[in-house]
Amino acid sequence: MGLWTVAITAAHGFLNLDWAKRFRPDPASAAAGNHEKFRVGFLPVTCHLTCPVTDFINKQLAGENLFEPMRFNGWPELKEAFLAGRTPATFLLAPMAIALREQGVPIKVVYLGHRDGSAVMVHKDSDIRRMQDLRGKRIAVPNRYSNQRLLIFRALNDAGMRIEDVQLIEMPPPDMPAALFAKAVDAISSGEPFMAQTELDGYGRVLWLTKDVWPNFISCVLAVHEDMIRDHREVVQELVTGIAKSGKWLDQTMDHRMDAAQFVAKNYYNQHPRLLEFVLSKPPDRVKYTNLSLRRGDFEEIEKLGQQAGILKGTARFEDYTDCSFVPDESAIPPHAWPGLKK
Amino acid sequence: MTAIATSRPVGRTTLALALPLLTAAVLIAGWHAAVVASGSDLFPKPYEVVNGIVELAERGLLVKYVVASLFRVTWGFSLAVLVGVPLGLVLGWFRPAYLALNPLIQVLRPISPIAWIPVAILWFGIEDTAPIFLIFLASVFPITVSAMAAVQNMQQVYLRAAKNFGLTGLPLFARVILPAALPQILTGIRIALGVAWLVVVAAEMIAVQSGLGYLINDARNAGKRYDLVVAGMVLIGLVGLVLDLLVRRLERFDSVRWGYGQR
Repeated sequence: MGLWTVAITAAHGFLNLDWAKRFRPDPASAAAGNHEKFRVGFLPVTCHLTCPVTDFINKQLAGENLFEPMRFNGWPELKEAFLAGRTPATFLLAPMAIALREQGVPIKVVYLGHRDGSAVMVHKDSDIRRMQDLRGKRIAVPNRYSNQRLLIFRALNDAGMRIEDVQLIEMPPPDMPAALFAKAVDAISSGEPFMAQTELDGYGRVLWLTKDVWPNFISCVLAVHEDMIRDHREVVQELVTGIAKSGKWLDQTMDHRMDAAQFVAKNYYNQHPRLLEFVLSKPPDRVKYTNLSLRRGDFEEIEKLGQQAGILKGTARFEDYTDCSFVPDESAIPPHAWPGLKK
Repeated sequence: MTAIATSRPVGRTTLALALPLLTAAVLIAGWHAAVVASGSDLFPKPYEVVNGIVELAERGLLVKYVVASLFRVTWGFSLAVLVGVPLGLVLGWFRPAYLALNPLIQVLRPISPIAWIPVAILWFGIEDTAPIFLIFLASVFPITVSAMAAVQNMQQVYLRAAKNFGLTGLPLFARVILPAALPQILTGIRIALGVAWLVVVAAEMIAVQSGLGYLINDARNAGKRYDLVVAGMVLIGLVGLVLDLLVRRLERFDSVRWGYGQR
């Protein structure tokens, strides 16, 4: 038993934990090791794409990255790791960040993750063509704090309908395509690439993209713990600048987006590159990564809808939960000076 | 007479191999037919799952993930044995300790490891320690309870005999109580190992980047890769079978074997 424990521990260490590197430290990584890397939480969704893109490009340009991207599998674990202080910075749903602030968590939103990049999908065989057709139907949303839920509220408001007219069901986004396929729900809404997946596989139809209903929609933001800002302001600055440069780089050319689809799908998301290629190009403004500085008007709209949806109390103000000082002028930030994969 | 005695075990072994294989074949054929009949291409057919496993092997992930899960289960389960067996023996022997701790154990026992995930992240972060803690929690209670019951249900005749020989204290514990309780404790350990392996999927829902549970969670995120989801399920089942066979071997030791019936 003792022998087994030693053997399996050694096998795990060398196969999964890179112990070989630890026992033979080369001077470069030893020097880098002096400065403990901080972790940034993210999920394998396109809303968080700038996180792995920044990591990858920093490694290409400088040989290493100042932060360690930490992939999670679901919203609760992502949020809990942040609350426990294990990930001092994380990508997070905007309404959830505001709600955490209302509950007394010292959280600051420092930058947006993306704009647009969501959709409402229905089964291609269904006769749902407009919002009004969803009356009495079941719509899946990721989480009560998700902006997709607020998006449905706004679309209902616009269509002159009430929330009682539809039935909202909370469901993890990875499970949504199968639920739509099986017609267990009538419509699904979450971040990409799960919506595009139903389209690619031929059973989903776009009812509308976010840009049609709520132009410049925000779903995820980059949030940082206040202690991190106080104690390591320069590191946070470097992170935010890197994220902003990545956004600019992604929106610079379609080639950049296709490169990102390749290296992110393979190295970070474990998804088929075709899926990300589809999301990032069909249509090109399905999701956008520029124009990401924080604007009061966007957040006040979220606050208003959040109160209507019963997830926000309205006790936290824009000044409380944001810190706009890291990107005072977005237009001054250039894209990463990295030509992409092929050159 | 001798001919029957030698031929029977051979027939039994063949049967013991042929029957489960037949069941598996029927099940796999039924699975294939059901997927074909449903006309859905979401749920994988059996051979697609085999291809998925082959793909994992080619990418070097198969060994890595099995090792990672076994590593976490080994540590979580070993710690559970180290804590659970002595604790159960003490609780079974000292009535005040039983009265004081048993209600607490019974309160904690039914709580699913999934409910402990936030606590595990808070206390242990997002390293291997968090899943190990969850596996420990899931397996420590069955072990404690079985060790406790083993001592409490011990036949009084052993104790009386021991007392007549003047055994007290540690010798009594080591030479009478422990051997008498061992068969039942081992049954508890066997059940607990099954539970420990059962919670590996839940335990690896935390931010770890390896393991068979991670494979399932990761495949759900990867779009239409339900072949890998089912591959993860199949691998967990097969490793679980091997683990059970190994623990059964423990029951063949002489110090344990006497406790079982002759069937």
